[in-house]
Amino acid sequence: MVKAVINGLKVEVPEKTTILDAARKAQIKIPTLCKHPDSYLHASAACGICLVRVKGSKKMLRACCTPLEEGMDIITHDPEIVAIRRTVVELFLSNHPNECLTCGRNNNCELQSLVADFGIREEFYEKIVKDIPKDDSTGNIVLEPRKCINCARCVDVCQNVQDVWALTFLHRGFNTRMAPAGDISLADSPCVRCGQCAAHCPTGAIFEKDDTVLAWKALRDPEQYCVVQIAPAVRVALGEAFGFPLGANVTKKIYTALRRMGFKAIFDTNFSADVTIMEEASEFVERFAHKKGPLPLITTCCPSWVDFMEKFHHDMIPHFSSAKSPHEMMGVLVKTYYAEKNKLDPAKLKVISVMPCTAKKFEISRSHDMSASGFQDVDVVLTTRELARMIKQAGIDFSNLPEEDSDHILGDYSGAGTIFGATGGVMEAALRTAYSFVTGKKLPKVEFENVRGLKGVKETSIKIEGAEVKIAVAHGLANVEYVLDQVRKAQKEGKPLPYHFIEVMACPGGCVGGGGQPYGVTDELRTARAKGLYSDDEAQTVRCSHENPYVQQLYKEFLGKPLSEKAHHLLHTKYQPLPIYRR
Amino acid sequence: MAKITRKDLEALKQKHTGEDRNWIRVGFSTCGIAAGAQEVYDTLVEESRKHNADVEIKKCGCVGMCSAEPLVEVHVKNMPTVFYGKVDKEVATKIMEKHVCGKMLVNDRIYDMRLS
Amino acid sequence: MAKTVFVKDTAITGKDRTRDFYGFFLGGLREKGLENDVQLVRVADIGVYGQGMVVRVLPEDFLYVNVQDSDIPAVITESVIGGKPIKDKLFTQASKQARIVLRNCGVIDPESIEDYIARDGYQALAKVLGEYTPEKTAQEIKASGLRGRGGAGFPTGMKWEITRKAPGDQKYMICNGDEGDPGAYMDRSVLEGDPHSVVEGMIIGGYAIGASKGYFYIRAEYPLAIARIEKAIEQCRKHGILGEGILGSSFNFDLEIRLGAGAFVCGEETALIASIEGKRGYPSPRPPFPSIKGLWGKPTCINNVETLANIPVIILKGGSWFAGIGTEGSKGTKVFAVTGKVKNSGLVEVPMGTTIEDIVYGICGGALSGKSVKAIQTGGPSGGVIPKEYFQTKVDYESLQKMGSIMGSGGMIVMDEDDCMADIAKFYLGFCVDESCGKCAPCRIGGTQMLRLLKKVTDGEGTRKDLDQLEQISFAMQKASLCGLGQTAPNPVLSTLHYYRSEYEAHVDKKKCPACKCEKLIRFLIMSEKCVKCGMCFKACPVGAISGNRESGYLIDQTKCVRCGQCFEVCKPRAISRS
Repeated sequence: MVKAVINGLKVEVPEKTTILDAARKAQIKIPTLCKHPDSYLHASAACGICLVRVKGSKKMLRACCTPLEEGMDIITHDPEIVAIRRTVVELFLSNHPNECLTCGRNNNCELQSLVADFGIREEFYEKIVKDIPKDDSTGNIVLEPRKCINCARCVDVCQNVQDVWALTFLHRGFNTRMAPAGDISLADSPCVRCGQCAAHCPTGAIFEKDDTVLAWKALRDPEQYCVVQIAPAVRVALGEAFGFPLGANVTKKIYTALRRMGFKAIFDTNFSADVTIMEEASEFVERFAHKKGPLPLITTCCPSWVDFMEKFHHDMIPHFSSAKSPHEMMGVLVKTYYAEKNKLDPAKLKVISVMPCTAKKFEISRSHDMSASGFQDVDVVLTTRELARMIKQAGIDFSNLPEEDSDHILGDYSGAGTIFGATGGVMEAALRTAYSFVTGKKLPKVEFENVRGLKGVKETSIKIEGAEVKIAVAHGLANVEYVLDQVRKAQKEGKPLPYHFIEVMACPGGCVGGGGQPYGVTDELRTARAKGLYSDDEAQTVRCSHENPYVQQLYKEFLGKPLSEKAHHLLHTKYQPLPIYRR
Repeated sequence: MAKITRKDLEALKQKHTGEDRNWIRVGFSTCGIAAGAQEVYDTLVEESRKHNADVEIKKCGCVGMCSAEPLVEVHVKNMPTVFYGKVDKEVATKIMEKHVCGKMLVNDRIYDMRLS
Repeated sequence: MAKTVFVKDTAITGKDRTRDFYGFFLGGLREKGLENDVQLVRVADIGVYGQGMVVRVLPEDFLYVNVQDSDIPAVITESVIGGKPIKDKLFTQASKQARIVLRNCGVIDPESIEDYIARDGYQALAKVLGEYTPEKTAQEIKASGLRGRGGAGFPTGMKWEITRKAPGDQKYMICNGDEGDPGAYMDRSVLEGDPHSVVEGMIIGGYAIGASKGYFYIRAEYPLAIARIEKAIEQCRKHGILGEGILGSSFNFDLEIRLGAGAFVCGEETALIASIEGKRGYPSPRPPFPSIKGLWGKPTCINNVETLANIPVIILKGGSWFAGIGTEGSKGTKVFAVTGKVKNSGLVEVPMGTTIEDIVYGICGGALSGKSVKAIQTGGPSGGVIPKEYFQTKVDYESLQKMGSIMGSGGMIVMDEDDCMADIAKFYLGFCVDESCGKCAPCRIGGTQMLRLLKKVTDGEGTRKDLDQLEQISFAMQKASLCGLGQTAPNPVLSTLHYYRSEYEAHVDKKKCPACKCEKLIRFLIMSEKCVKCGMCFKACPVGAISGNRESGYLIDQTKCVRCGQCFEVCKPRAISRS
């Protein structure tokens, strides 16, 4: 532990704690524009606003990256420090377009807040804003480099957390700008649309493509029959936008809000997550117990991970589960099963998904398989952030809403479906069902604590009928390489497989930390959101997907059995290598 | 020369210092080369061959008088060692003819700076 | 040695020879019948300035200054024939230069390891490998008081010690050869003229810090330096001075070259490391310092070329010998690249503590003919200007800093009355804005805003408020920039504002450039009453802005004129006004 003094207050913090974090513990907020509180991101030291000084010294230190040392006496605010911070903020302002009113981050922008906090009422320096065109080539993540303040969060997260290396800085000096490496369009870059860049951006320089207009248009069209689904991780994050405590589960308020917005049927992706487990667990049992197909089996619920694999690790394609993601399964089931059952014209059905994810916007048109119903299975994808905006636009007093239920039967889920939103959740849900499929017995204890938590790679094993199932769970794409290399090494050396079953989620923490979730994600927040999901799981009477009576009904009425021909046609997909990204 | 050890160093040093010979050094750093040292060097070599002069012509680095490049330092036995500055082809020819062979210093080109 | 007499009777340009002093002297020799025994040589430069006619008698080496025609017979009888000095005419001047770093430059063939060995080369390495422990080696450098010659002046011995003590199985030595200050080229000359001394310094450093690998980081614009270091490394490998078991000891060390792509900021240690690692040359925050976590995350010691060239001499002659040279806080010598409006531009190496006056006037001969020196600029774009009123200032780390400049890597640019201080500040700031890596906002945006303001000032469109803004941004940049480049970039602006505020005020208040330099504020006019219609201006004008002929006279078309001043320079009767 390090003992020191900040603004006359005694603080004691663990070694290597930065001055910024230590000050926070003493209720002192040092302003910064580039340092994100998320521990995955490094301090880039780019903004120059978090200046502090050691008492008596003229030199100023950056609080974001300077560790507090024993006996330091730190001053965080004095007239000179504040004046310099103000000048730097004014310089930022001189290099930033005045488009706040129409900006995607209006009222939610770190630069805007800082300018407001400093009470800057006049632009002191002449505007020097470079005219750099917007890049909306991907259709889901939009780059607006003019609004970029070069904080380097996006580049850091893209290169070091996600290992994608789509974003970098180009040119030098005043011409330095964030852009896809090689100055190509983002769509041509290795970008996997995980949206972590957008989730961490302090300004409106990177944001999700806003599809709320499309959603409103569909809702207001009397010809259209709008159906909505919400993803597991949305329910524990949306509340943040309306002042609920971190991780609060607001599922039933969301149902109410959606119904009031005009959706004809409110479904839950948790249900189709249960269907995914039926397919995926069966696939695993086929490969593991009946030796049909290669091991390890790798989960494919995450579209960013699928894209990443197709671009960088396509030697792993045979190991990929062919099961579609829950959200796509819901789409196709709505336009086939639900349409048939309710005698609806699938051409007039609009499926709108609320996802914690920007990549889901890309997934809906990823391949022909995403139109297995004969129509595009999912029509519009909204992120959690977009849903929050729509609720506000609709004039709904969200916090005081009554709680309602979802619609049958595509809205009824088991505890296994809801934990899909946290890292390890898909694995845990699959194990619950796979165990029963192999043994025909009920699990005495459904929780697999070893796969939970925020450790980058979680390796463990369980026993099914005396056979050891070795598993790995990775989240944050930079952690994937290690896991896959273990597999490749064993394959090359002819050694026993290190794992039989691997789960990967692109975003740190899984979908609870997704690129479409409310801003300001930290490990504390990821943990709180995941806790919300695990509590939801515990609250359910049905904890395993195969025990969900409505899932059973679906198979009985429509699909037959898992991996049936119909299931294959509607619920499974194929992958192809994208060989241009060799590293 | 093979790998050397500490003991060999002293012997090598002795071997390479020694008798007093006539020599010419031409400044061959970027400053010298840019000012035309190559032509000066070639001229000196050519002239020394012509006169069959007893002088070793070497390339060396920059002594610091960059404004006077190309710089040529001339050492002839029993004569003061001098720098000639802003040497061109003509002066180089004179240096060989008059100074090295005729033992006469060349007027107007000596930079007598005594550097240390 | 034959009797030789050097006379210096002209300025370097040869234009202002006023008397046939040489002829008189030759006549004096003839009178004594000595014309065949004594060689009388007219020299181009004799290294003594502002002292009239200078005569040097060899081999006795009597130096006489301010010699009058009437003194010639006495000099001939007393000194040339008699071999005795004329005491009251004798000029004694201790050499102002002291050569440690440049000891071999211009003396040895840089491509010959034998030449280097003949001048005590690799003796220092042999000494540390045979007699010193790594601790003792670092100790010796610490005792010498040697400070980094790259600019910041961190004690080299201490750096070595910290790196040696830092935990780590692998450590690295790096030679920083990314010299980039405008007008500075000391390191290039050392690398080109004496590569082996830098290599030897690197190996000794590697031994002291416990590194087995070193990198030369040299900018790619120095092809000759790179070729010579390459050759030196190759020779060393061949002779067992690099590689395994150096000089028969158990010490292993090898060197590699990495080329810088010309980014000035890569001279900053952390950016340099990023560049070697193949990343974008961005500086990173310190701590961690490179000595603890440097190249590939390992403890790394980065030393400047000139620093390393000092090492072998210090080892051979001892730390205390070196500590005896220089001032209290700054030991040894410093090489300066003196350039600009000065008679003898080039490299000088002087003991720390030498006055600026001694360098500018004593060694370099002062201003170009007909002009007078106004100020010098040291420390490149990170430094400041020192007006001639303060030329008694000694060059050492502390004194220069007190004057608002810095030692820097050793660039010294001499400016004369034709140089406008706002224009100079604009030049240096422009350099930093160009070379800014763009990472941190104070430097990236602040520098650009400052440059815009300076442009306004020099274009005559500035206001007093602009000067205030300049100062305000300067202070913020100094404190809030991440690396040395941004922190020091405002120095030229602040120091010129400090010493020459009136010049800035003339620009903003009166819209005038006192030095007649800022092109938007000056106009060239031909004064017909003085014009002799020679047509020189007409020929000199590069843009055809001057029209007329030898009968009618000439006229400058202000719309075409680019204010280059060539007509002004060539006009003999001074018939062109500049205002």
